[in-house]
Amino acid sequence: MAQASDALQEFVADLKRAPKRILETAFRTGPPSTDRTRSTFVFGNVFLHLHAVRTHRWSLRWTTTLGLGIATAAAFLITLVTGVMLMFYYKPYPEVAYESMKDIHFVVPTGRLIRNLHRWAAHVMVITVILHMARAFYTAAYRKPREFNWLIGIALLVVTLALSFTGYLLPWDQLAFWAITIGANIAESPREVTDALGITEYFDPGGLQKLLLLGSDEVGEEALIRFYLLHVMLLPLVLAALLAVHFWRIRKDGGLAKPADADARLAARREQETYPVFTEAPVKTYHLAAIVRGRTPAVGKGPENTVPSMPHLFYAELGVMMLTLLVCLALSVVSDAPLKELANPSVPENPAKAPWYFLGVQELVSYSAFMGGIGIPVIALLGLALIPYLDRETAGTGEWFGGPGGWRLVRFSAVLGTSAAVMIEAVAIRFGWLREWFPDVPQLIVTAVNPGTLLTLVYAAWSVWCVKRFQSARAGALALFTCFLCGFVVLTVIGTYFRGPNWEFYWSPAYWPKH
Amino acid sequence: MRKNKLLLLISSAGVLALLIWAAVEENILREWRRIQAQGRSEEGPLGVQLRQIVNRGLDTSDRCISCHVAMGPGEQGVTGAPLLKPHKPVVHDPAEFGCTVCHGGQGQATEKADAHGRVPFWPEPMLEKETMYAGCGTCHVTLGVPEKHRIKAAGAAFERLDCLACHRVDGRGGTIRPGGGGMEGPDLSRTGITGYDPEWYAKHLAKRAEAKSGPWRDAFGPISPPELELLRVFLDTRVAAPGWVEAKSVFLSSGCLGCHKVSGVGGDEGPDLTQAGLKDPGRLDFTYVAGKPVLENWFREHLLAPASVVAGSQMPPAAVLEERELAQLALFTLSLRRRELNDAYVPRDRMLATRFGRREFARDGATLYGAFCAGCHGEDGMGRRLTGLVSFPSVANPDFLEIASDEFLRETIRQGRPGRRMPGWLKENGLTAEDIDAVTAYLRSAGGVESRADGRPRRWVRGEARAGEQIYASSCSGCHGAKGEGGAGPALNNRVLLASATDSYLVETIRRGRRGTAMAGFAEPDPVRRTLASGEVEAVVAYLRTWEESKP
Amino acid sequence: MTIQAKPQRSRLDPAPVPRRDWLGLSALGTMAGALLFGLIGLLRLPKAAVLASPSKRFRVELPQALAPGEAFVPPGRNVAIFRDEQGVWAISTVCTHLGCIVRPAADGFECPCHGSRFRSDGTVTRGPAPRPLPWLKVSTAGDAVIVDEAAAVPQGTKVA
Repeated sequence: MAQASDALQEFVADLKRAPKRILETAFRTGPPSTDRTRSTFVFGNVFLHLHAVRTHRWSLRWTTTLGLGIATAAAFLITLVTGVMLMFYYKPYPEVAYESMKDIHFVVPTGRLIRNLHRWAAHVMVITVILHMARAFYTAAYRKPREFNWLIGIALLVVTLALSFTGYLLPWDQLAFWAITIGANIAESPREVTDALGITEYFDPGGLQKLLLLGSDEVGEEALIRFYLLHVMLLPLVLAALLAVHFWRIRKDGGLAKPADADARLAARREQETYPVFTEAPVKTYHLAAIVRGRTPAVGKGPENTVPSMPHLFYAELGVMMLTLLVCLALSVVSDAPLKELANPSVPENPAKAPWYFLGVQELVSYSAFMGGIGIPVIALLGLALIPYLDRETAGTGEWFGGPGGWRLVRFSAVLGTSAAVMIEAVAIRFGWLREWFPDVPQLIVTAVNPGTLLTLVYAAWSVWCVKRFQSARAGALALFTCFLCGFVVLTVIGTYFRGPNWEFYWSPAYWPKH
Repeated sequence: MRKNKLLLLISSAGVLALLIWAAVEENILREWRRIQAQGRSEEGPLGVQLRQIVNRGLDTSDRCISCHVAMGPGEQGVTGAPLLKPHKPVVHDPAEFGCTVCHGGQGQATEKADAHGRVPFWPEPMLEKETMYAGCGTCHVTLGVPEKHRIKAAGAAFERLDCLACHRVDGRGGTIRPGGGGMEGPDLSRTGITGYDPEWYAKHLAKRAEAKSGPWRDAFGPISPPELELLRVFLDTRVAAPGWVEAKSVFLSSGCLGCHKVSGVGGDEGPDLTQAGLKDPGRLDFTYVAGKPVLENWFREHLLAPASVVAGSQMPPAAVLEERELAQLALFTLSLRRRELNDAYVPRDRMLATRFGRREFARDGATLYGAFCAGCHGEDGMGRRLTGLVSFPSVANPDFLEIASDEFLRETIRQGRPGRRMPGWLKENGLTAEDIDAVTAYLRSAGGVESRADGRPRRWVRGEARAGEQIYASSCSGCHGAKGEGGAGPALNNRVLLASATDSYLVETIRRGRRGTAMAGFAEPDPVRRTLASGEVEAVVAYLRTWEESKP
Repeated sequence: MTIQAKPQRSRLDPAPVPRRDWLGLSALGTMAGALLFGLIGLLRLPKAAVLASPSKRFRVELPQALAPGEAFVPPGRNVAIFRDEQGVWAISTVCTHLGCIVRPAADGFECPCHGSRFRSDGTVTRGPAPRPLPWLKVSTAGDAVIVDEAAAVPQGTKVA
């Protein structure tokens, strides 16, 4: 009997202790107040262990990354969360979709804010992803061993644009319907070439692309459900997977890129934040997962300039995330996401414009559908993808505008790129192009010779000249990237502000003719 | 790290502030909340919540009652703010039909400007108070409406015969008499929809015979057949929307159907007007439109000066110039806004029109003329001469009617003038043969002139066509065109004209002319014009006849 | 920072610094507050503010020839309306067991799903129904009757 009452007492005591024990078993590492507990906090947590346990101080400087990568990820998170909330009420069928948008705007609790937030965060994400790519490029962060991560980044860029594009159709208003009609027709633009060659009957990639995209020969309920599937499930999964690879690669590549002399250039530290490692090691701080050949951040170095990720990196990340949230929220509170009339297939919008990030492409498309829609974007993406494999130099990695030529070359290329784009556009706008001068010119000539190809040639020529002048592929890359970036901006600005009905040039919307 | 902590603190504070602001704005500051907070029902203060009328059959979710609470189902007792007034008694219960079916606007919205539809990108703004009855056209069609004089006469007859002594119509009448009685008859506001007893007159007479005194003796008396007919017109057009019916009668007197189709009947030259009331004001140019940029003002301006709102328009301005009638035409056009309806909601009148082919206008000659012809040929049939447009001939001209046979009139209306603006009307979406006969008879009665046959065969002229050509060139081609294609004057090389006109018609026209038009008689001496002898006239006619073979 | 020479404490586990990190704590706290506020807002979204079904309050005209005790069920509505000399009343035909629609029967109502039986005043005589059929709020408006399916009144309330 004594045993039984002991066991019973123990049972009661255990029951009383259970709540505290639940917490203890869930959070086993204890408060992150020491170097060791800070480490275990990071690598012992399934969500956090994608981070390295220690971060180099150079990586934490604002000017190293401008926080753009985290800002993009934060914008994605915001779109993810708000997107899921919107799915409670959105109905992906024509007409009903539009009505559900109206309901979300007017009667769903917090619906208006959430929808605005979703749209603004999506736009912010596209902007930050482009800026992030520019930052990675200009700091030559694509160099060995980070070449593959750069490719993953390009893939992420494409998926981001695809996410934005598929989401654009969902409101099913005039803006959405006609923007996607244009996009689908751009997908069909290889026909411009196959028609001119007379082979469309046998080989029709354009038609196939459009059919796959729309599920039909015109934008309708098939396209809507297809875009919905892509937008809410397939593309987010792909993005998340690629993001995981992207972050993992950062760790495996040894953290963010930094200049070779970063340690020397960092300011002297206050003693309390630097702890020597491996001087005495009575307690393990790293789990050794495998023995590998290669370098890790820590082995073989002296007192390193790393700080525990918890809390240094996390404060930085959280700060950037909340700042991104602040920007998106501020935009959402002051400005409503657009919603025009219900989509009407018999009343085309004039001008019918693609989403803003495609307006540069649409401007080029107005000269040649194939070149502007497929040719030049593919060339651009290919060029971007090849950069790490063509620039195998090492000087200037981690430096802003590092490499021969530097800031001056970039500045000059910016001016050149902008003015070349403006001038070629001005000629085309003022005097027309090819077909206005030679009505019978064959289509293939028009495809080959248009402002887009001309601009590309000018940029390429300038870039090749830079390679020779500076005897450096990096200089050429600096020149070319800058030119393309500025060209993209110029074309997008023209497409946004200066193109009116019938894609005619107008100095201002005030001059657009009334219907 | 300090910088990042500051960044986090300031950003988070900003986020929190914005979220609080958004929460306050949505849960406290919204206009509908503030309005409802002022409301009180019988049980106490009103519970503040979104309210809507859902009608699955009409596919509407109208949230107007979030502000106009007292118009909601069962909420008539709510008082408080001036906005909280119950809906006036109307035929269709708002609790079932919702609001936007009749009033337009954006039912799904909960903000005032959005709900009233007066925002960009909403193509159907709420109807203004003055044009409220245009909303009936969303579902309904009025059948057998006559032209405006007739409907005025019908209304006048109803008043004159003192029917209002016992019957209420549209809120008037049914007066209690000093001697007793009154308000004994049913409300006749909707007889056009519900129908009425066809034997009513006989029964009234019987009642009168029985009664010794009272309204049956004082107010009712025998009615002549023409007046009975007018009463029939009146009762058939009572649909609880008198303004709308009157507006339609003005429409049917302005000849719009001559160029425009409504519900599949009418001409082809102008756009189909069946959905004209649903035009999106956001896509229209209001530069030359006076008053508010609303659709009815655009219609009004369009009627007054078509080319100022539609560049290059060949539409003659509306013949009516009275402000009231212009407004009525605008109202009627605004009411042309039929939308697809669930079968359960299709009203009887619309079913009769769409499935059983009942015409929306009366079939008497005056109405048909008013509906199809008056726009070009004038309300009085005297034609219209407008700058910049080909002139439209006078069809009730006495000189014309005297020499034109009924057959000529009929053939002209049936086949029109191919290649010119007069369409042939004997077609499926035009007039039937009986209709054309009615119009012909009406023209005769309007002109007051019977045709005078001269007994000659259809073709009797023997003239020198070549001589006629020279005379034609000098005397006629100035107005009628070098090859007879027309100009200020009608086209003479027209196949239908030449086929249906007798030689006598042509000869007499040239000799006598048409009074009141630019065609003077060429047989009369004239200081300016060359006078033609009979032989010369016949030569011209012979020349005209040569155009007959060359036409396909 | 001072490294206190305490036994059994390695240099990798120094004593925690006694100062509070106000800036960090307030930053984290504000962030937590902002995100919590946001989360609460997000969680309010799924609860619909307005129901997409026809109003529970509706107006109906009773047929002229309605015998006392005879049930009138307006098409599409789950109520049975009765009229006698004392007035009009309406009983909900939604079974109080699991929501099936009961049928008017000779002596009251019967539910086809699990066999509940009700008297003509709604009280349960047989079956698993836990509560009587509720009497609904009725008011008259001219010739028509307004029934409020969302408001119940005590059994026996008849409106003249």
